[in-house]
Amino acid sequence: MPRAVVPVPAAPPVIVNALRKNRSATVGVAIVGALLLFALLGPLLSSHDPYESDFVRGISPDKLPVGPSSTFWLGTDRLFRDELVRLAVGARLSLFIGIAATLIATAIGGAVGIIAGWFEGRLLDAALMRIVDIGLAFPFLLLVMALAAALDRTTPTTILLTLGLTGWLGTARIVRAKTMQLRNLDFVTASRALGQSTPGIMLRHVLPNVAGPLVVVATVSVAQMILAESVLSFLGGGIAPPSPTWGHMLFEGQDYFTAAPWISLAPGLAIMASVLGFNMLGEGLRDALDPRKQ
Amino acid sequence: MRSIRASSERLRAGARALSAALAVAVAGCSNELPAPIPAADPNGSIAYPSLPNRGGMLTTSSFGDIRTLDPANIGDGLVPQILQSMFAGLIDYDVKGRIVPDLADHWTVSEDGTSFRFVLREGVRFHDGEELTADDVKRSVERALHPSSPNPYASYLASISGFAPFAAGKAEHLDGVRVDGRYVVTFKLDAPDAAFLPLLAMPPLRPVCRSGGSRYVDTWHPCGAGPFKLLPGGWDRGRQITVVRHEGYFRLGLPYLDAVRTLFHVNFTSQRFKFTSGEQDILRDFLSPDLLKFQADPRWKPYGEYELDKQVAGLAMNTEMAPFDNIELRRAISSALDRQQLTLIRAANMRPANLPVPPDVEGYDATLKGQTFDLTAALEHMKRAGYAYDPVTRTGGYPTPIPYTTYSQGIDEFMVQVTMQQLARIGIRLDVRIVNYATFLALRGRRKQVAFGPAFWTQDYPEAGSFLEPLFHSRSINDEESNNSAFYSNPRVDELVDRARHELDAARRKKIYGEAQEIICDEAPWAFTHYYRFYAQWQPYVRGYKPHPMATTDPTRVWIDRVAGPVASRAVFSGDVYAKLFGDSPHGAPRRGPR
Repeated sequence: MPRAVVPVPAAPPVIVNALRKNRSATVGVAIVGALLLFALLGPLLSSHDPYESDFVRGISPDKLPVGPSSTFWLGTDRLFRDELVRLAVGARLSLFIGIAATLIATAIGGAVGIIAGWFEGRLLDAALMRIVDIGLAFPFLLLVMALAAALDRTTPTTILLTLGLTGWLGTARIVRAKTMQLRNLDFVTASRALGQSTPGIMLRHVLPNVAGPLVVVATVSVAQMILAESVLSFLGGGIAPPSPTWGHMLFEGQDYFTAAPWISLAPGLAIMASVLGFNMLGEGLRDALDPRKQ
Repeated sequence: MRSIRASSERLRAGARALSAALAVAVAGCSNELPAPIPAADPNGSIAYPSLPNRGGMLTTSSFGDIRTLDPANIGDGLVPQILQSMFAGLIDYDVKGRIVPDLADHWTVSEDGTSFRFVLREGVRFHDGEELTADDVKRSVERALHPSSPNPYASYLASISGFAPFAAGKAEHLDGVRVDGRYVVTFKLDAPDAAFLPLLAMPPLRPVCRSGGSRYVDTWHPCGAGPFKLLPGGWDRGRQITVVRHEGYFRLGLPYLDAVRTLFHVNFTSQRFKFTSGEQDILRDFLSPDLLKFQADPRWKPYGEYELDKQVAGLAMNTEMAPFDNIELRRAISSALDRQQLTLIRAANMRPANLPVPPDVEGYDATLKGQTFDLTAALEHMKRAGYAYDPVTRTGGYPTPIPYTTYSQGIDEFMVQVTMQQLARIGIRLDVRIVNYATFLALRGRRKQVAFGPAFWTQDYPEAGSFLEPLFHSRSINDEESNNSAFYSNPRVDELVDRARHELDAARRKKIYGEAQEIICDEAPWAFTHYYRFYAQWQPYVRGYKPHPMATTDPTRVWIDRVAGPVASRAVFSGDVYAKLFGDSPHGAPRRGPR
């Protein structure tokens, strides 16, 4: 029986060890972990309601939002609501949308990429890749904004669907290339000779072998999705208020940047940290899963 | 070990750099305003201490733009301000809001209030040098009211005799405007109309040059008899407009300025920095925190002033749609709004509103109670509406979220979030839908489209009827583009508004309008939230400036008293046009003394 000459995905303990040794990945894991923790426990840090204005303690004598204090750790926003608790609720929304949209995009991109790669050169491959080409011809953010503008109502579900359904194109291209490499390898030919069906080979042999790059792309994609959602919300195409998404919080603070910079700085830094964290984690995973670096 | 130490050093260095960057960013957002640019001579000009300087250019900016520049087609809010400097009317408002003669030397009114005889000044010249006569007045009025003119004011002037057949295209001329001599023109009305003079003082009926023709055409080059005129090339659409002094202006010695320039599409932050650096002379578009800072700064305080309240805003409830066909629910919402809290969102511009007519408009009555915040009453109205709510157990209330349609990136996007908090206290939840502004306007004016949403209105003329008729008279209900966006109809209100308009006695008119306002406040087609007023801030070197009660900025008597110096924004004005207008005279160095 011919032996597969293909990079076999590393076993989980090996990946963990490789991640541990990779400084970028360590920082990425720490940032992402901290963000997840903040999203889960952040609302407990404050006794304030994220949706309720405090017209007594949250407003300064000159009728501006109050800055950071022991009552409001991150100050209040332009509607005199606690910035910290809104940031935490915003973390839940932003991370949920980023991760859920990435799952959708990865599932679609992975499936399309495997099918197109398997049927390389045939009509199905050509049709799928032309769709990808057309999609990639539009700048991602522009496409997402156009779709969001066309929606009658924007909710977390519609936003994550919009992002997920438009964010799979690059993934499909990468997975297709990887599948094209795999389909001519001996172990795949052997499986075919043994009578295994095409869907079976795709699921049992191709999918596990493209899983590594898929995970890396997905991790980086979370950062892109969070950024895209923030841009959408900043430009008014995101989730309707009063839901506190980071992008919308940034938008709400822009008029007050000289007088109350904390309103913009807090969500701005949160967006920056999450994008940085997921990108560093993705890079670390890429290195950890690269057999040449093991 | 060494590498770990080195990397932690690098991390610490990175953290220090990030902290420093943040500190710089925060420090860059300094709260301090720059000092005002002083006048060259605080007491007057150097050569002639009591006389204004002649020359120089006044620069203003706006976030908005203009699409037309014709009195017969005022489509944008900024247009009247620019028309004010280019077109003079028979009468005008002075800075105290009184109607005064302008092109008319004087006028008389018949005892029954239906005939107005205007005697024109002799020797008034249009921008093209032609003399203004009574024929020009009649021609300009007919041009503005002809059905071919897209004049939004036309229907307000239906009281002029012969308007109906003329507006229907069945008559060649408007019988109610009669030329009684080279300099005498008489307006005849079918019935007394309290709004006639205020309307005549506004830009739509102002005389235009003979080149404007007797019918509206949108290719006409704007030409009137105002203090400033537009030269070819002076209007760079979408960017700026510069009007220059009309040397033949009928008020001798005026205007003082060589030119007035208005820049378009300048965002609020840019305007603020242009203004404080002296590139822009007057500032009206403020970010809320900036305005609070200017008002609190004693160096700037003497050079700022509120304009009149001309805008009312609120929440319109479509009386033809559920659940707002239930009057008790409307009353509950009206009572549940804490207007003091709502106006804190933009405290420097908003004042709590309890009536449909703003305080600075004739017909406002401070003795009326209007709509007020009363949570107990609101809960009682909810009970009567059939949606009793217990605020302790938080049970009951309206069973489903009420759709609320608003527009993106505007003040209501913030106000609705506080409104939601306040309505939640009486068991009402909102389902907010945000659309772009154009879609919002289209939906709001369409029958049975928007149940609940923001509404606002700015006066067309300074009289209560300018609010009550378009917003609450059943005549203003249309299937599309309905000004009455609550689709509110009450025969008694209709009758009162019509009666008030024909009542010439100001005290009696105010009483009739008051009765109409009480009914409207009680039946609550709108829950009034705030009056909006602009604040104007100018540099100390801008002399003689006073916000105009109707046109915002009237530069006729403004002069620049500034030490000569380069102005960076001069580049906006193309070199050719600049040379044509000013020769070699450098901008920013006005000539001293009168001519």
